[in-house]
Amino acid sequence: MKIMTVKKRERHKNTFYQILSVASVLGLIGLWIYISSTSRFPTPGDIWERMIKMFQYPIKGKNIFGHLLASLQRVMIALSFCWTFGLAFGILLGWNQKCRAFLEPLFSAFRAVPPLAWIPLITLWFGIGEFPKILIVIMGGLPPIVVNTQAGIANVQQLYLDVGTIFHANRRQMLFQIALPSALDAVLAGIKNSMSSAWVVVLAAEMLGGKSGVGFLISRGMDSMDMPLILLAMIAIGSVSALFAIALNTIERIACPWLLKKK
Amino acid sequence: MEQTEYKVRVEHLTKYFGDLHVLDDISFNIRKGEFLCVVGPTGCGKTTFLNLLTRIIAPTSGELYIDGIPADPKKHNLAFVFQEPSAMPWLTVEKNLRFGLEIKKIPKDEADRRVEEILKLLGLGDFRNFYPHQLSVSTAQRIIIGRAFIMHPDLLLMDEPYGQMDIKLRFYLEDEVIKLWKELKSTVVFITHNIEEAVYLADRVLILTNKPASIKEEVIIDLPRPRDVVDSKFIAYRKYITDQIKWW
Repeated sequence: MKIMTVKKRERHKNTFYQILSVASVLGLIGLWIYISSTSRFPTPGDIWERMIKMFQYPIKGKNIFGHLLASLQRVMIALSFCWTFGLAFGILLGWNQKCRAFLEPLFSAFRAVPPLAWIPLITLWFGIGEFPKILIVIMGGLPPIVVNTQAGIANVQQLYLDVGTIFHANRRQMLFQIALPSALDAVLAGIKNSMSSAWVVVLAAEMLGGKSGVGFLISRGMDSMDMPLILLAMIAIGSVSALFAIALNTIERIACPWLLKKK
Repeated sequence: MEQTEYKVRVEHLTKYFGDLHVLDDISFNIRKGEFLCVVGPTGCGKTTFLNLLTRIIAPTSGELYIDGIPADPKKHNLAFVFQEPSAMPWLTVEKNLRFGLEIKKIPKDEADRRVEEILKLLGLGDFRNFYPHQLSVSTAQRIIIGRAFIMHPDLLLMDEPYGQMDIKLRFYLEDEVIKLWKELKSTVVFITHNIEEAVYLADRVLILTNKPASIKEEVIIDLPRPRDVVDSKFIAYRKYITDQIKWW
C-alpha cells in the first residue's frame, strides 16, 4: 500500500518535470507569436511560407534542404578528416614524449589563431572553391579533438599502467588496451566539441563567401532584409545540431556503457 | 638449504625516495611454494617492498632475484593484486578476468576454461557482463583477485587485498587463497596489517619495523590447516606477533 503511494508520487513528480520542459518550449513559441503579432518580426507562419516558397523559387538552384546538405557535406568531410587525423595526432602527442616536446609548441601556436583569421591567406592560396572552405572547417574542428585526446592519453591512471606492467604488456598493448580505452570519455568530449566548432566555422566561412549552404542563406537574407529566410536558416541549423548531439549521446551510451555512472 | 630451492632471494634491498629512507638493508629468501606474509605498522614501506619485487619501481641499492635471475615482470610469470581497486572500468567482469590472458596470448580454449573456473570459484557467474562500477567495492576487488589467480602465477604478490572487505567475505576469500595456493603450488607473498589474517594464512610471517623498514623478526607458523582462529596456539602466535609490532 505504502510502496504504491510512493511510486505514485514519484511518477507524479516525473510528469511534473516533463510538463515544465514542455511549458518552457511552448512559452517561447507563445512569446514569439505575441511579439510577431505586435511588430514586424516574422510569425511562425511566415517562416513556413518562406520555406514553401523556396521549393518554388530555389535560391541558387537549391531549396532549404539543398543548402543544409551543402553545409552538412562540408562539415562531414572536414570532421571525418579531423576525427581520424586528429585522433592519431592526439595519441602521438599524448603517448610519445619526444613528439610532444617537438610538436606541441607548433600546435599551441596554431591553436591560438582563430580559424577565421586564416580566410584571407587561404583564399589567396586556394581561391574560393569547395576545398578552401573545408580546409577552414578542418582548422576549426581539429584542435578540440587533438587537445582532448592528448589530455586523455597523457592522464591515464598510473595504476592501470602498473597492471599492464605486471602482465608484461608491450608498448602497443599498453596503448590500445589500457591508455586508449581509459581516454575514451575525453576523446568523446573532443568529438562533441569538434562538431560544434566545425558548425560555427562552416557558417562563418559560408557567410563570408559562397554560393550555397545555410551560412550563405543567412548572409543572403541579411543583404535583402529577408527576415523569414534568416530565421528559417537558423531553425534548420539548430535542428540539425540538436539531432547530431542526440545521435552522439546515443552512440556514447551504446558504445561506452561504463561512462554512464558519471551522469 | 640449497640456493636453487629459493624462489626469491632478496639481498641488501634499500630504497630512498629523495631523502625519505623507506627500506633499509633488507635481506631474506622465499622458498618455492611458500606462503609468506609480511606484517608491519601502517606506512612502514610494505607496498614499496612489493613494488620493488615487481620492478614497478627500482631499488636504490641491493639486488633481488626471482628463480636466480634479477626480478623482471617480462621474464617471470608474476601476478599482483593491488591494494586499490584496479579493475579496468571499461571492461566487464569477464573481460577483466581475460585481460592478462589476452596480453600473454594464452590460447582461447585454455582461457575460456580458466575464466569459467574462476567465475565459478568466486561466485561471479551472474555478474560476468556487469561493469565494475555496477558492483560493490568488495565484489570489484574479487575481480582483481580472480584476474591474478587466473594467470596460474609462479609468484603471486598480494598487497592488502582484503583491506576493504567485510569479515565474512574475508574469511571466505582467505580459504580460497589457501585452496588455490595448495592446488597450484604457487609462491605467495601476502602483505597485510591484519595479524590474525597473517597467522591464519602464512607458513612464515615477516615482521617489519617502522620506517625505514628492516626485518625485525621471522616467525614460522607451525599450525595444521585449516587453522582455527580461537585455538589457543593460534592466539599465542597472534599475541606474540602483535607484541613484536608494538614494541620498538
